[in-house]
Amino acid sequence: MGHAVEARRLEKRFTRKRSIRELLFQPFRKAEVVEALRGVDLTIREGEIFGLLGPNGAGKTTLLKILSCLVLPDEGSATIGGHPTSREQEVKPLIGLVHSDERSFYWRLSGRQNMNFFSTLYEVPRERRDGRIAELLQKVDMDDAADRPFADYSSGMKQRMSIARAMLHDPPILLMDEPTRSLDPAAALSLRRFIQDELSGRDRKTIVLATHNLHEAELLCSRIAVLMKGKVRQVGTVEEVRRWGLDTRNYELELDRWPAEAGGRFNVLSDRAWEDGRRIRIGLSGDDGLNPMLAYLLEQGVTIRGCTQVDADLEGAFARILEAE
Amino acid sequence: MIRVAAKLWAFIVRDFQQQVSYRLAFLLQIGGMFLSLGAFFFLTRMIDPNAKGLDGMNPFEWMLLGLAFQYYFSTALYAFSAKVRSEQMMGTLEAMLVSPTSTGLVIFSSAAWDFTYAGFRVLLYLGGAWLIFGISFHLENFPVLLLGIVLTLLSSVGLGMLSASFILYFKRGDPINFFLSGMTTFFGTVFFPAEQLPAFLQGVSDYLPITWSLRVVRGALLQGKGFAELQSDLAALAVLTAVLLPAGLFLSRIAIRKAKQEGSLVQY
Repeated sequence: MGHAVEARRLEKRFTRKRSIRELLFQPFRKAEVVEALRGVDLTIREGEIFGLLGPNGAGKTTLLKILSCLVLPDEGSATIGGHPTSREQEVKPLIGLVHSDERSFYWRLSGRQNMNFFSTLYEVPRERRDGRIAELLQKVDMDDAADRPFADYSSGMKQRMSIARAMLHDPPILLMDEPTRSLDPAAALSLRRFIQDELSGRDRKTIVLATHNLHEAELLCSRIAVLMKGKVRQVGTVEEVRRWGLDTRNYELELDRWPAEAGGRFNVLSDRAWEDGRRIRIGLSGDDGLNPMLAYLLEQGVTIRGCTQVDADLEGAFARILEAE
Repeated sequence: MIRVAAKLWAFIVRDFQQQVSYRLAFLLQIGGMFLSLGAFFFLTRMIDPNAKGLDGMNPFEWMLLGLAFQYYFSTALYAFSAKVRSEQMMGTLEAMLVSPTSTGLVIFSSAAWDFTYAGFRVLLYLGGAWLIFGISFHLENFPVLLLGIVLTLLSSVGLGMLSASFILYFKRGDPINFFLSGMTTFFGTVFFPAEQLPAFLQGVSDYLPITWSLRVVRGALLQGKGFAELQSDLAALAVLTAVLLPAGLFLSRIAIRKAKQEGSLVQY
């Protein structure tokens, strides 16, 4: 499997422009510099949904803008399908950008008129244009509403149009910047399913998804990178990132009772009564702590009704990474 | 080349579709145009037809062409920068710039409709003057007129690109527009001949493309002058175009690159 996107030591600094008032009253003061990216290294494989996770201001959007040739990096390099992003004409046919901003259409024109305009910019051959637009509108379930003014669409419809536009030239890589940000839960769910089933599952697109929605990243992404203050803090599969910084495995036990003397032996994370028994969450170090614990409980005459490993969640991992900053 | 033409056409269609979605505004604009034409007709009746610099032309006809072509120049000055700004604000600039269309072409094409519409308005002005006020034009030197109009178009594109570069880079208003509009109105022989200005100021007009453009257009349309009589005016216009157009394109390239480096290309 090849690499769809690669970034090597990417750095980007933004200098805040000074107002005339500042220039007049504090002429020698240095302009404020914001380091948006500080040596970002990333490799995204073909066909995967790769999540860029991070709080606001972490550098996710800047990274996407560099990958879509809208911003030039100060240092380092990025390639899309093996082409450096400095070669716009080679890179742009390979990418589609899905904006979080639903304003990025002409609101007085219909969805179809918008698609027609952008299809020319995306160099869809004239003879294939109508067919391609119809196909995409159907794919995003907008064919019935295509001739209504864009202004009349709901947020979910606008976002689906944004995806359809990004796919006009059938790029192998889709860059999505918080695509569910302005959607209600039902529309967000439907869009996530579409991304997973259609774009990734059926069309085998490589998707780079910038989000600060941890739940969304857990549901969709095969691998994620956690960006903080312009640096990649963690990168790996969702499971690897979830477990980052954890030296225990957590188990939830359903027991008829909890022996009083067991309290000092084990790291009890929570304990609550449940119907005619107890539900206890325990943290164990390493993989081999489970059997001795179960053996001990059985020795004490405890009836074990259930034992499940509790998955580490991304939220916890995120908090640990944030703490480690 | 075909691809560039198709994209240019797509911009014109897009803006036409948007324009006709504001039907009432469109009709009112046309109505307003004819009212201003009438106002200038009566205003120029107060002007001495033998005034210095009119070269024997009827003051209304003289000013009519000045007005029509000043509109063309002001469109050029404002269209690029205004379009870039409005696309930045609407969020559509980013959507266009991620497509395989160069930034320069996006900016250039954004104003294509405004130029087309300005051309349409010039024709309406002239047509209205012919129909309502019975003004006749010399069309026997049409190729010369056409050459003058093409040079006018190219020089105004140069000025427009200069102005758009300013917006792209500085974001804060556009002093170039403000300055050039004022210069064009005052020194561009739109409302009065340069000969009416104090002698030490008259030379300023020579550095403005609209001065030469109007000399060609007035000469061809109102006086029936041919290439031989207008060649020095055409040459002056060509020289200014040869300076302004490359300068506009060059500066817009620099502005785009700087804006990309600063990450401010799509900000407003």
